[in-house]
Amino acid sequence: MPGVILSARHLQGFIPLWILFIRNKMFSCYRMKTNVVIRLVLLLTVCTYAVKSQTATPVLTPADLQAKITTNTVILKQPHCYFNETCPTCEIWLVPALSSATSTFDADRTNSNILSLSPYPSAFGPLAKNYFLTKVGLLSTFPCSASSDSLYFVVGADGNCTTVNCNGILPTGSVVRFKYVLVNGSGIIINETNWSANITLFTPQNPASIYDGFIARSGAMVVITTILSVAAGLLLLLFFIMLCVVCCRKKESKSITARSSMPQPIPARSSMPQPITVRSSMRMPRYDTHNLNDRVHPYDNPAYELEREK
Amino acid sequence: MASGGLACLMFTLVALNILAAAASLALFAVAIWVVVDGYKLYAISAVSGKDDIFAAAWIAIFTGFAFFLTCLFGIFAAVKRSRRLMLVYLIVMFIIFIFECASAITAATNRDYLVGNSNLVKKQMLQYYTDDSSKGNQITDTWNRVMQEVKCCGADGPADWITFDSTYKTKFPNSFSWPPNCCEKLSNSEVKDPISCRDGGITLFKKGCFQHIEWVLSHYTWAVNWYGFAVLMLVFFMLLLAMVYYIQLD
Repeated sequence: MPGVILSARHLQGFIPLWILFIRNKMFSCYRMKTNVVIRLVLLLTVCTYAVKSQTATPVLTPADLQAKITTNTVILKQPHCYFNETCPTCEIWLVPALSSATSTFDADRTNSNILSLSPYPSAFGPLAKNYFLTKVGLLSTFPCSASSDSLYFVVGADGNCTTVNCNGILPTGSVVRFKYVLVNGSGIIINETNWSANITLFTPQNPASIYDGFIARSGAMVVITTILSVAAGLLLLLFFIMLCVVCCRKKESKSITARSSMPQPIPARSSMPQPITVRSSMRMPRYDTHNLNDRVHPYDNPAYELEREK
Repeated sequence: MASGGLACLMFTLVALNILAAAASLALFAVAIWVVVDGYKLYAISAVSGKDDIFAAAWIAIFTGFAFFLTCLFGIFAAVKRSRRLMLVYLIVMFIIFIFECASAITAATNRDYLVGNSNLVKKQMLQYYTDDSSKGNQITDTWNRVMQEVKCCGADGPADWITFDSTYKTKFPNSFSWPPNCCEKLSNSEVKDPISCRDGGITLFKKGCFQHIEWVLSHYTWAVNWYGFAVLMLVFFMLLLAMVYYIQLD
């Protein structure tokens, strides 16, 4: 039976534990309750039976390979230790089937021509059986002792082949299940594993469906744009202010120098030195125009002059 | 203002101009480094029509050199204490300032578009790798070189070739799931271990190339935009000082 070796190992594991448990209980001087004993025995029996009836299941290879599942190929773990028989002419074959076709194969497996019942070229299609069989190797090449995670079997390695039992590629994007079967010298299936879990092959998407538009603005770009825009604007503003200030000062200085350049009588009164005021960078001597009070000056405001006299 | 203060301002202005001249000469050199494209990834931005990172670098070459010359002129104008010369200096500096701003902003924006995420690079690779057009030849050469030099495959990983249809897959349907350049090669450019390459074993490069491409293009961008930004900030404060100096002159 397929599960015998596995169950013996598990049993060996359980017995020492059980004995230890009993011994501990006795040494700790607690009285063994009967229901505990019954529970333990039941558990052990259940475990043994479960382990005994366990059969192997094909799995994906645990090795670190990137092409474990592609659009039309799968890489499985090699069938080491899956079958217990020792017939020299027996071969292990693989049955890749669409997940909808597992029942079809299970119904066909007792057929004496099972190996050529569904040849690969016509295996997949709307009215086809949707499974095929391909040879993995002689049973003797997969002994238990050589079991290793780095050994693998590529389903679909032969590409789009044409022979009856070749290792051809699977339909793109389909959901497949696998089963290893043991076939004797006359082409009869004498043992088999369970069906593997559903494996979904990739359906390749159209690259035009990738959205390559603008995703998001990075913080750097926002910072640079805002700060530089503000700086440039500020510079422009300050530049115009500077020009205005300079132009205004030019006008003022022009008006002051225009005033002081008008022809005047020589003043007799004040001989005091005129105070010199400084307004920012312009040195503006303040002229005392009291001497012009007698005269009418075009730039003087008579009303203001009258007020000053009062 | 006392003449002592004016002299102090003049010396400060001259010193800042010397500093800005040196900094803008460095900007000129860095922009040349970007334009020369030592990593030879220009094709990736050119084929997508978004090569503004390199356009920004060209602008930075010109503005860097122009800043250098104008700063030397500014030293002369400051020492001469001439209002007219200072005005010319300010106007020219401002114009160059605007251009350099444009360069920095363009580089930053374009980088986001190209390598914000791996979609654009991935789509370009899937569509143009082994394509027969001139764009296809450029992309094929670039990717072949990058995959072998950086030891990477695909944009995010070899799975890109499986998850998506591609021109490569349409052209070579019976070949490996990914291009042979994704695997280790011997010196005569034969694949070292075809079985391991086909099954995705140890001789297949497992990491994606997008990280490297993003690194290179980001560094090109930062050279132009952040360094340009630094130079611009220096020039901004120097121009403020120059404007004050201009007002103080008579």
